[in-house]
Amino acid sequence: MSEIQEESKHVQHIQPYSAQSGTMVPLGMQKFLRTCVLWQIIRFIAINIRMTILILKSHNQS
Amino acid sequence: MARLVILGAGVSGHTAASFAAKWLGNEHEVVVVTPNSKWNWIPSNIWVGVGEMSKEEVTFDLAPVYEKAGVTYKQAKAISINPEGSDTIDAPFVTIEYTGQDKEGEREEVAYDYLINATGPKLNFGATPGLDEGHTVSVCTADHAVHAAETLQQCIEKMRAGEEQTFLIGTGHGMCTCQGAAFEYIFNIEHKLQEEGVRDKAKMIWISNESFLGDFGMGGLHFKMGGYVTSSKVFAESLYSERGLDWILGTHVNKVEAGKVTYESLDGTTGEQEFDFAMLIPPFAGVGLKAFSKTGEDITADIFAPNGFMKVDADYTPKPYEEWKPQDWPSTLQNPTYKNMFAVGIAFAPPHIISKPMSSPNGTPINPTPPRTGMPSAMMGKAVAQSVCDMIKGVSETPTHTANMSKMGAACVASAGKGLFSGTAAAMTVYPIIPDYEKYPGTGRDINGTTGEIGLAAHWVKHLLHYAFIWKAQLKPGWTLIPE
Ligand SMILES: Cc1cc2nc3c(=O)[nH]c(=O)nc-3n(C[C@H](O)[C@H](O)[C@H](O)COP(=O)(O)OP(=O)(O)OC[C@H]3O[C@@H](n4cnc5c(N)ncnc54)[C@H](O)[C@@H]3O)c2cc1C
Repeated sequence: MSEIQEESKHVQHIQPYSAQSGTMVPLGMQKFLRTCVLWQIIRFIAINIRMTILILKSHNQS
Repeated sequence: MARLVILGAGVSGHTAASFAAKWLGNEHEVVVVTPNSKWNWIPSNIWVGVGEMSKEEVTFDLAPVYEKAGVTYKQAKAISINPEGSDTIDAPFVTIEYTGQDKEGEREEVAYDYLINATGPKLNFGATPGLDEGHTVSVCTADHAVHAAETLQQCIEKMRAGEEQTFLIGTGHGMCTCQGAAFEYIFNIEHKLQEEGVRDKAKMIWISNESFLGDFGMGGLHFKMGGYVTSSKVFAESLYSERGLDWILGTHVNKVEAGKVTYESLDGTTGEQEFDFAMLIPPFAGVGLKAFSKTGEDITADIFAPNGFMKVDADYTPKPYEEWKPQDWPSTLQNPTYKNMFAVGIAFAPPHIISKPMSSPNGTPINPTPPRTGMPSAMMGKAVAQSVCDMIKGVSETPTHTANMSKMGAACVASAGKGLFSGTAAAMTVYPIIPDYEKYPGTGRDINGTTGEIGLAAHWVKHLLHYAFIWKAQLKPGWTLIPE
């Protein structure tokens, strides 16, 4: 499959001028990273740190 | 000995009861009045609704937990409050009606020194004609979600047999909140249909009272992404577009019939949408508690807002959207008239909505009402429990702790499909929940504290939270270490 065909499979369900055509749609690399276990382990740590900071900030209401 | 009575054992009430029992010990009494025999981790109802979890995995019996904690548990619903007592009873009391413990239908007056109202929402299916007639399903309770999963399975069988099916998910009224739950449900169904190999047979439509995708009842949010500040509108539209979901926005569903909804839109148009499967969130109201003075006069309107939620230390002066301030939102959650009465979680009356008020040309309000999700609800429960315990112990005569949504953030992990390696979720943090345009001009929120990303890691977080919060709610070892 050519690179163009490969990329277009992520957008081929979108109808021109539909609401769906007016936004950004992820391509292969983005989608791959979303379920790439190694990358997601890093994201897991990052999300937990982010949420911990948020919780600490929210508990400290002064 | 003082007695603290807590109405409702959901997220906020159970948190308040657990901490109050721990801090007050045997010297004082904590009483929980709640109609349900089981505690439900409501966020995981979404997975029950697609057949990925059982009811048993998201619920547990309350009685043994309260026995262990030394909490007096009354399986009953509160009917009314007499904050001054009555001509025969001197102390303030609540009238309750049992729903279990072999006393179904029996009434009792429970006196209190302090009262926390944590009764959550009444699921007001009756507000939209036809919404309560079984044409649609719901995931708001574990039992509803079990039924939703069975209905979904029937649709999957039809699709396997080659039939096309239309799925309609969203809000069933112009004044709904809890868009996040419907958002999770549509994505979980989509994921399920992919896994079942029948996605191509499904037309999937989102219908909502939001004026734009990603409003979530919070007027949307903005976060940093790839060197830009992006609106949750772009974030949500991207996800819907990627998964091939259509959307109908700014709608008030005014009628539900078998296989069809009728709606009115913000632009004045009306429309119809047919469906084979629909899950429409009902609007929320207060649970309908009444209040009476010592002489028996009905004082419900003094204590509760017209929507049935309890008035607290918020600024309820009606004012236009342009004049809304973070300071309008309550801090101590104490009732202004009866200082020994508090309301937490969904049960407190917000001063106004968070999203910009909108209505159709003929005056029908079509705007999301403010969400009060799990994290803020639990934080309110804990803060009020701390204040009440301090007041009981004589540390202070006034509340010592606050839980103001304008100084508090919310972490929200919205599942977009379950699976240890195939699952995804949107992990969002928002700070503060109530936008503060003076402190954070432009977006109203701290763009460093407001974030969003989609991926497997967020699904792991969501799954971990399921176990962590059920562990915590069961008061198992180390429960206090798990944050709200
Ligand atoms: C399907 C779904 C998914 C959700 N997912 C998320 C999520 O992922 N993350 C998140 O943060 N939030 C989520 N939420 C929102 C979250 O569930 C609520 O924010 C939270 O439950 C509110 O807590 P609460 O204590 O105010 O009300 P509830 O948890 O609803 O508790 C109210 C309690 O009061 C009891 N009660 C009712 N009437 C009476 C009465 N008359 N007398 C005494 N007791 C009474 C009820 O039985 C119940 O036990 C979701 C909600 C739904 C419906």
